[in-house]
Amino acid sequence: MVYSTTRSGPHPLAFVESQLLHLAAGLVIGVVLLAVDYRAIAASSRWLYAVNIVLLAAVLVLGRTSLGAQRWIALGPLGEFQPSEFAKLAIVITLAKHLADRPGPYTSIRDLLPFLGHIAVPMLLIFRQPDLGTALVYGAIFVGMLYAGGARRRDLALLAAAALALAPLLWHLLKEYQRRRLLVFLDPSLDPLGSGYGILQSKIAIGSGLFWGKGLFAGSQNILQFVPENHTDFIFSVVGEELGFVGALLLLALFLLWVWRGARIASAARDRFGALAAVGVVSMVAFHVFVNVGMTVGIMPITGIPLPFISYGGSALMTMLWATALILNIGMRRQKILF
Amino acid sequence: MDRDRFEYRLAVIFGVVVTLFAVLAIRLWQVQIVQGDYFARLAEENRLRVTPLSAPRGVIVDRAGRPLVENRPSFTVAVLPLEFTQPAREIPVLASLLTMDPDEVARRVASGRDMPFAPVRLRRDVPETTVAAVEESRMDLPGVFVQVEPVRYYPYHELAAHLIGYLGEASDADIRESRAAGYQPGELIGKDGIEREYDRDLRGRDGEIQAEVDALGRPSRTLRTIPAVPGNTLVLGLDLPAQQAAEAALGDRVGIVIALDPATGAIRAFASHPTFDPNAFATGIPVAAWNALLHDPRQPLIDRAIQAAYPTGSVFKIVTASAALDLGIVNRDSGFYDPGYFDYAGRRYHDNNNESFGSLNFLTALAVSSNVVFWTISQPVGADHLSEYAHRYGLGARTGVDLPNEIPGVIPSPAWKRRALGQPWYGGDTLNMAIGQGYVLVPPIQAARMLAAVANGGAVVTPHAVVEVRSPTGQLVRSIDPPAVGEVRLRPETLATIREGLAAVVSRGTASSIQIPGLAVAGKTGTADSSHGKPYAWFAGYAPAAAPTLVVVAMVENAGYGAEFAGPIVQRVFEAAFGLPLTPLPSDAPKPCTPSPPRGTRPPSVLRTRGPGVSSAISTRC
Repeated sequence: MVYSTTRSGPHPLAFVESQLLHLAAGLVIGVVLLAVDYRAIAASSRWLYAVNIVLLAAVLVLGRTSLGAQRWIALGPLGEFQPSEFAKLAIVITLAKHLADRPGPYTSIRDLLPFLGHIAVPMLLIFRQPDLGTALVYGAIFVGMLYAGGARRRDLALLAAAALALAPLLWHLLKEYQRRRLLVFLDPSLDPLGSGYGILQSKIAIGSGLFWGKGLFAGSQNILQFVPENHTDFIFSVVGEELGFVGALLLLALFLLWVWRGARIASAARDRFGALAAVGVVSMVAFHVFVNVGMTVGIMPITGIPLPFISYGGSALMTMLWATALILNIGMRRQKILF
Repeated sequence: MDRDRFEYRLAVIFGVVVTLFAVLAIRLWQVQIVQGDYFARLAEENRLRVTPLSAPRGVIVDRAGRPLVENRPSFTVAVLPLEFTQPAREIPVLASLLTMDPDEVARRVASGRDMPFAPVRLRRDVPETTVAAVEESRMDLPGVFVQVEPVRYYPYHELAAHLIGYLGEASDADIRESRAAGYQPGELIGKDGIEREYDRDLRGRDGEIQAEVDALGRPSRTLRTIPAVPGNTLVLGLDLPAQQAAEAALGDRVGIVIALDPATGAIRAFASHPTFDPNAFATGIPVAAWNALLHDPRQPLIDRAIQAAYPTGSVFKIVTASAALDLGIVNRDSGFYDPGYFDYAGRRYHDNNNESFGSLNFLTALAVSSNVVFWTISQPVGADHLSEYAHRYGLGARTGVDLPNEIPGVIPSPAWKRRALGQPWYGGDTLNMAIGQGYVLVPPIQAARMLAAVANGGAVVTPHAVVEVRSPTGQLVRSIDPPAVGEVRLRPETLATIREGLAAVVSRGTASSIQIPGLAVAGKTGTADSSHGKPYAWFAGYAPAAAPTLVVVAMVENAGYGAEFAGPIVQRVFEAAFGLPLTPLPSDAPKPCTPSPPRGTRPPSVLRTRGPGVSSAISTRC
């Protein structure tokens, strides 16, 4: 898919090479992660948290700006990396550890407050980049893990209500383009050549793929670059255009399979940490898929969340690989099935 | 928290995920399957851009294939709004290079804002020096480029300008009225003359280049090129040497020359002076020049051959004579006495300074154009018969020539006068009518058609400028050969006498000064009163007299004797048409003359264009 979107242009293989490189690096480190018992990873959670905060802060200070957001830190010859991507995995691990250390029961909102505080700081830093999408991912992870962790539904509902009540304040804090994205989502005709353009073109691309698609590498909208960011955020539009309904559904099925396996592992996990970490990863991935694909077909606003494993982006790819490694890790060391 | 609850919650989470994915799947179904075709079409439209290729307009040639109207390549400076990135700096530079007003340049650029990929013309037909200057500054003028376009070209300038016509931008009314033609706003279409009547044939069909474009509108490859189809070629009946002779002979006087083929009605020459140069319109005429033409008191835009009507003077005697002969009131040899005056209803009408022809037969009376004889026969003939025979000759009705805005002229009758003026017909009106004065107003083309009927034995033909429409490669598309609208239905003796009389006009009558060695010409002079000054000079003739192949009519406003002013013009045209040496033109100084004062008659008035009016009962050949 990355190849399909980037093969025209001066360096047809550049993007693919980059992805492959990151894939290789990710796999290598992933294997290492597998080898280590995940409980060791859990133990380093505090340290992980600290590093996460530092990196997120560093981005705000040293970061490269692109598309109005400061998200990347340059690493010289190693390219750049996006701390907010790793932050997602980091928070899963640290929050799982936190939840495991305080198993509850959570009888009131006050019991949930520590966890809120746990995610508040990184979330704020991310929001300041500004990266609304990743901040929302944090929200999804938080809800998923707390729900699985045993928080009362009532309390979670209250938190949700509180978040909604804060929404107007949030609106105020949003940047202009973020607001426009949300407005245009509600009515694409507001700005058909600007913010609405992406949604419109994406739907055209996907819709014109019909049932069987136009064939790999043969998507006209893709080749002619009608869909913006089609190698990153909108890459699903290429899937829809070139592989059609069949291909799109197949990809969704694969993701669903991944999620199902993750859930099975969560169920069979040996300890609370493992179970909750698995739930966290599952929530993360499911949220990504739903928001990203939803964005390309026009039922979600544009948020800049990539499609796991498919979108171009080294940090995202490695994060997903390590997340997968973590889940496998947990799965490998699960409890024996008790009778 | 116990395992069961955890399992339950896990299941809930998974259930939520499944639901969300199902929503996605349904949405995909909706977008790709239900609305798939709609999006597929949008995808196609996204990527295609169509650039029109303008078709060159059809060429117009004379009967020998000599080009009278063609196209020539010209340079147009245009702007691509998408790339015109520094308007503040570029507009003044362009304005000075193109000698245009900066506001005009800005206005044109702004007009293309909605379609940034379509070029906007700034100035057509710029000289080569300007092209060089623009190309030189190319690097400093992003978005500006020069393209080659065909421009209408009239190599003979004013020659036959009214017949040929001119171009102008299609107006909203034009676009509405001719939906089928598919005119585009700003397109140059024929506005007058042949350019207008045959605009459909001349337009051709624009081609197009279908290119695939990317999201920035840049063409990535050409998918299909449909070449433009040039317009059809029009072959006119015009004979270039005859036309040139006509224009030269008419000179800077106000008047017309028409020449017809008596058998088919094909127009061999057609000049109306004053005239204009259609080249001025070829790239869209500037407002100042258009206003100058419109408000010129000499009215150069009027086609005086078909859009103006004049008293014919003695040329009408052909009708009077035809009626009198055909009704048996006179015959060729009927004897008359012309004392130089005619008494009627207590008045004495004088003929030409009281010039007396003495005893003469009818044939001679026609040859010398004796008013007294024609007044004498006018009463027995009567106004109704005069009117009837005039209509038989096709007078008083449009000829149906393939040129726009023809007027019918006026042939009076007692019924007409009652209807149009609410007045009864007087005997004096008949006298006037018999000699082509009074209410008689004839567009010159009808006079030509009348002579053609005499020349060809009685068929009232339909004049037409175009004889053939051919494809750009020369194949015949269709012939223009309209049928005659009727017959004059004269008795053979009548026609024979008329023809003999017209031949005598030249051989020994009023037009003997224009005899051409080696070519027998026949015709009739006319000198018609004008209230604006000197009379209208007419001569309408055909040659060779025995078996005519060409009719020529000339009329000069504000001139004098027909033989003196119109006759030489016709003579020249005949000479040019038949390849004979050209007689030098006479001087313009008119012969001195004193018209005899009217005695108790109504004040004279004559209108230059259509409309009835009170006229004098005198005829002066001054």
